[in-house]
Amino acid sequence: MESTHDLGDEVLVSLCQQGQADCFEVLVRRYMEKAFHIAYNFTRNTETAKDISQDAFLRAYTNIKRFDGRSSFYTWFYRIVVNLCLDHARRSGRVMWESLDKTAGESGGQRQLVDTQYQPDQQAIAGEATRRANATLESMPNKQRTAFLLRNQQGLPIADIAKVMKTTEGTVRVYLHRAVAALRHSLVEFV
Amino acid sequence: MKNHGAPLEGACKSYEEDLVLYYYGESGAAERAAMQQHMSECGRCRNFVEDLGRVLPQMAPQPELPQSFWDSYFRETMAKLDAHETRQSWWSSWLAPLNGWLVPAFGTMAVAALAITLVLEKSDLVSFVYTPAPSIPVEVLVDSNQLEFFKSLEILESLGTLEKLDASKPQPKTSENNNRKPTTSVDYA
Repeated sequence: MESTHDLGDEVLVSLCQQGQADCFEVLVRRYMEKAFHIAYNFTRNTETAKDISQDAFLRAYTNIKRFDGRSSFYTWFYRIVVNLCLDHARRSGRVMWESLDKTAGESGGQRQLVDTQYQPDQQAIAGEATRRANATLESMPNKQRTAFLLRNQQGLPIADIAKVMKTTEGTVRVYLHRAVAALRHSLVEFV
Repeated sequence: MKNHGAPLEGACKSYEEDLVLYYYGESGAAERAAMQQHMSECGRCRNFVEDLGRVLPQMAPQPELPQSFWDSYFRETMAKLDAHETRQSWWSSWLAPLNGWLVPAFGTMAVAALAITLVLEKSDLVSFVYTPAPSIPVEVLVDSNQLEFFKSLEILESLGTLEKLDASKPQPKTSENNNRKPTTSVDYA
């Protein structure tokens, strides 16, 4: 007999809708890392990202009967996560980003935007470049940032981003280009 | 690695958006071939795509979290779902008697009560709105003291009338009449 872990999203959702609540556990296991990472990309805070992504699962669970299958489960679910992230950003006034130095420090400086292996002055430049790039991301309009984060961080195809954002693929392309252009512009002195 | 300090060059304006899509693998086959052809001839656009490939993967890095974090995350999420389910089932058991025939009954009663309330309120409202306020001058309105005063005036007026009537009648000359004294003496002044 086929394990519930091997079932596709649509089958699991259908079983949940029929009252088999334990099937939702499989969906939680399947999407918890992605949900957390999307929330982390928006909030840059581990605890907040955890709360938001868990809240997204709760909302998906309570509204599972309303899911009509016109889109895939994951685009429907990502939309819930993104909306909660944007709500959080609106409520908090601005996205609360963790210290960028701390972020870079956590991974031993590997994640700075320029190579910092050899010269201390280059490390300073790298730190400033990272700060500026992240400040640019933070100050971006929500739609540009959403398109950029879903494509660049989550690797979602533009077609799926359009479904998550309920817009056209052409609009997502424009958002993505503007986001990349803004980032490139902010880094023009450093890289 | 590219020489640090060199500015991040812009691409040709007309190609920039397509190069971003090319970088993300979102171009169709024809566009992809066209971009590759253009980049073979344009150093700026070639550098632009190389810069994107160097910078963008490092943007907004994800934290590397241990398995224990994900185990705890899963347990917490399921606990939240269970708590939600328990709350819901408590409410649904509490409201269970309202299911079936009681729901329409309560609904009908509620609608009827609402309708009666609205009708009563409306009639009060109509009388309040459409009844003209009394426009009697204050001077004319009487209070309780003034009312007593007017009552005593009426009594006095009727006494005066009686006395006048008595005076106009011819007086019989009897011993009873001579002995009789006036019962009331009122000074009108």
